[in-house]
Amino acid sequence: MNIKLTYNWILDFLETDANPFEIQKYLSLAGPSIERVEKFEDDYVFDIEIISNRIDTASAFGIVQEASAILPFFGKKVKIKNNPFETFKFSRIQKLKLTTDYKLNVLIKENDLCSRFTAIVLDNIEIKPSPDFIQKRLKAAGIKVINNVVDISNYLMLTLGQPTHTFDFDRIANVDKKSATMIMRAAKKGEKIFTLDGNEVKLPGSDIVIEDGKGRLIDLCGIIGGENSCVTEKTKTIILFVQTYNKQKIRKTTMTTGVRTLAASYFEKGLDEERVETALVFGVKLLEKYASAKIASQIYDFYQTPYQKKEVKTTFSFFEKIMGVKISKKTILQILNSLGFKTKVDNEKIKVLVPHFRKYDINIPEDLIEEVARIYGYNNLPNNFSPPAKILQPKEFEKVFQIIFKIKHFLKHLGLNEVINYSMISKKMIEEWGLEKDNPFKIKNSISKEIEYLRTSLLPSLYKNIKDNEGKKDVFKFFEIAKVYLPRPNDLPIEEYRLAVAVNTDFFDLKGILEALFLELNIDAFELPKIIKKNNVFLTEINLSFLIENYKLLPKFKQINPYAVIKLDKTFTLSKNLTFAKIKEKSFQSSYLDKIEVLSLFKNNLTLRFYYSAKDRNLTEEEAKKELKKV
Amino acid sequence: MDLNQYKADIDKCKNLKELQILKIKYLGRNGLINTMFQNIKKVPVNQKKEYGQKINLIKKEIEKKIKEKQNELDKNRLIKFFDPTLPGKIYPKGSFHPLTYVIEEIVNIFQKIGFVRVSYPEVEWEYFSFEALNMPKGHPARDDFETFFIDFPESKKYGKMVLSPHTSSGQNREMRRTKPPIRMINIAKTYRPNWDTTHTPMFHQFEGLCIDKGINITHLKGTIDYFVKEFFGKERTIRLRPAHFQFTEPSFEIDVSCGVCGGKGEVNEKKCRVCKSGWLELAGAGMVHPNVLKMGGIDPNVYTGWAFGFGPERCMMMREEMKIEDIRILYSGEIRFLEQF
Repeated sequence: MNIKLTYNWILDFLETDANPFEIQKYLSLAGPSIERVEKFEDDYVFDIEIISNRIDTASAFGIVQEASAILPFFGKKVKIKNNPFETFKFSRIQKLKLTTDYKLNVLIKENDLCSRFTAIVLDNIEIKPSPDFIQKRLKAAGIKVINNVVDISNYLMLTLGQPTHTFDFDRIANVDKKSATMIMRAAKKGEKIFTLDGNEVKLPGSDIVIEDGKGRLIDLCGIIGGENSCVTEKTKTIILFVQTYNKQKIRKTTMTTGVRTLAASYFEKGLDEERVETALVFGVKLLEKYASAKIASQIYDFYQTPYQKKEVKTTFSFFEKIMGVKISKKTILQILNSLGFKTKVDNEKIKVLVPHFRKYDINIPEDLIEEVARIYGYNNLPNNFSPPAKILQPKEFEKVFQIIFKIKHFLKHLGLNEVINYSMISKKMIEEWGLEKDNPFKIKNSISKEIEYLRTSLLPSLYKNIKDNEGKKDVFKFFEIAKVYLPRPNDLPIEEYRLAVAVNTDFFDLKGILEALFLELNIDAFELPKIIKKNNVFLTEINLSFLIENYKLLPKFKQINPYAVIKLDKTFTLSKNLTFAKIKEKSFQSSYLDKIEVLSLFKNNLTLRFYYSAKDRNLTEEEAKKELKKV
Repeated sequence: MDLNQYKADIDKCKNLKELQILKIKYLGRNGLINTMFQNIKKVPVNQKKEYGQKINLIKKEIEKKIKEKQNELDKNRLIKFFDPTLPGKIYPKGSFHPLTYVIEEIVNIFQKIGFVRVSYPEVEWEYFSFEALNMPKGHPARDDFETFFIDFPESKKYGKMVLSPHTSSGQNREMRRTKPPIRMINIAKTYRPNWDTTHTPMFHQFEGLCIDKGINITHLKGTIDYFVKEFFGKERTIRLRPAHFQFTEPSFEIDVSCGVCGGKGEVNEKKCRVCKSGWLELAGAGMVHPNVLKMGGIDPNVYTGWAFGFGPERCMMMREEMKIEDIRILYSGEIRFLEQF
């Protein structure tokens, strides 16, 4: 999540001698990353990436809290001013004599929807454009400017990190015009709400909504308001509405409905309930000042489990253990205190009191290490190698990676192109290749028909590679080494590494590749894997474990024969009854035969060259001829 | 037969190959001269001698003429222009998928400092992908728009079956396989439901894990700094920024200085188009969370560790040579892409 804030906005709460670029540089190293700084009229805009568990920093005041701890470590002066947590308390608006003309009937139906619910009615509202500084800051933040009431609501969110909403009281009021009913409940599946941006949203069920007691949904809580209750040009009386919600429910609704709003990205991360009070009071103050609002009801506040003091215990030596350098006690305490933690020291031990705005992300001593280490500066820590240790790679892994390496290099140098395909293929490919028999895994939530099933064979993908490329070149020779996933009952699938090769040349080309590969891996006495022909493509697939088992680092050395070798040529006419395999079998019955070479094949006439020799003497040509005659 | 034909034939010869054919035509085993010798049978006895001499004479003349022609052609050949700038003989050139180079390079870099490569399931149980990484039920990463789920009966012990969304599931597997000290790298295919110019539903991840007594942040920093200098070049530097991951605490984002603008964030006074203010995001990392150690059966009071996760695709695309606009080309099987590597 990224938010945009301006330099002057931050200076509302901070006195500092740091310029915008210094703030960018130093905060990025030790806190939230400021990805860019850009000039905006007479101000500067920061584009800030919020760390996912630090939603408390996603506001002007949140950034100020971070800056006040970080900047002093880079020699910059800081002082927090106008601390809203101290300034904006309920007591500030409760002290006034209230005209309690209006009433809200609030009913929260389930306990797991909303951890704090507050609301107040304000009347005498005058809708008009918001003041210049609010308009300018919202524009810089990339938020559309609408009118004073809506703008103030958005301004509060970015100032304090707490989204707020305003309803037009009269549009949801009961018949008496003095009261309104708000029933907060979980939505039923299929319920519909018209949202204030003019869309109809069909709810997936168990979403947090508010009903007005007359069966109308008026708010899709935490995400977007209803069209039937929003503030318009005619609005006179409003409800200012500030809550914190169940973050899982918000996330589920916003993701399944696809309605993504900035408010939702706050609520789905879980907000600090204490801040609700601050936001409500600050909101009332702004509306009084810029919309002539007058308080017209009591403050409604339903707060299930008020903040309890939270403590984490650790020791000074633990910081050194994890950070790898010695840090003085004074520095550790200074950092923790500057971040709002209170500390109690007892010799080596420290008790750390967690402030309310950090109650969700600080739980264990390691969390405190992070706080101290980041402010101290990761870049001030040295670079060390991990201490040496004797580690052996398990043989089964070593063998797989070794053979993959050898095969890839060899096939590449033979002129083949390696390809990596998706492990998932379409139903069409499964059917075309008859892979249903393997019961391939189906992906429940696939995002495309092209990638719905897990491969149980590499061949369909390689065939497709050749077909997809046809016309771009004449000759294709592809290979892939990858896992296939073979389902079995009640367990994870067997993940089997395979090698597949596909060519669009001819049978003997592929056979030759396989023979050469086996020779390279010193695999002898083998039967070649089956070669499949599909249209003009020849393909083969081998289980890698076969190659691993039969692979030899070195071939067996044969003594060099010092005696004469007699070479004889002979031509055969091939037929069903006289195949090369038969000639080979027959001729190797001779103990003098070393090898046979194919010289030529023309039509069915095969000319072979036979190499004869004896191990103990020079063989004569006559003897060799006699051997050949037997064939 | 016109006995003088051979003169014209030989004169017309343009190269040695043609001459060789003529030689066979006239002087070969079944050549004209031999045929004529065989015909001697039909010649009356009294003329046989004269006939034979005549043929011998012609044979010698042909031989002489051919020899002369051969010398001439040889001479021509020798004075023919020799152009060494012509291309050499063409040998087959295949290709690796570019990621193969990257993965081999990564493995080499880490092997030198004593890390061993392992391999763990790519189709995995939820338990190893989430619970064992301190991500309980309800954590956003477990949503079905973040992870692919397999249509398979749920395991009572380990939950649903998923396509592993990260290589971190191998952390618990490695802790189960072996006791510390651990120095592991794991490079594997990983899967998430995103498919656009910057995401593919299948990609690779590269996990590093080090667990031992006395491991601290400086060891993580040192290791990553070493990797970056080996892989991207000596002049590159890293920075660690605070981040949040469930399975590490503290957690960092690791950035590497931009190779295009040299870390300045601008080129010729214009904003660098490649990086964010001089830095490129490279990886997530951190000190292994004590809960993750506990779930791997390792006592966090005795042992500490660090872990990181990189994207090999991203590492590849951050190198100078590889400016890829649309990442989907990596897994398209497009030959005009593949054959370049």
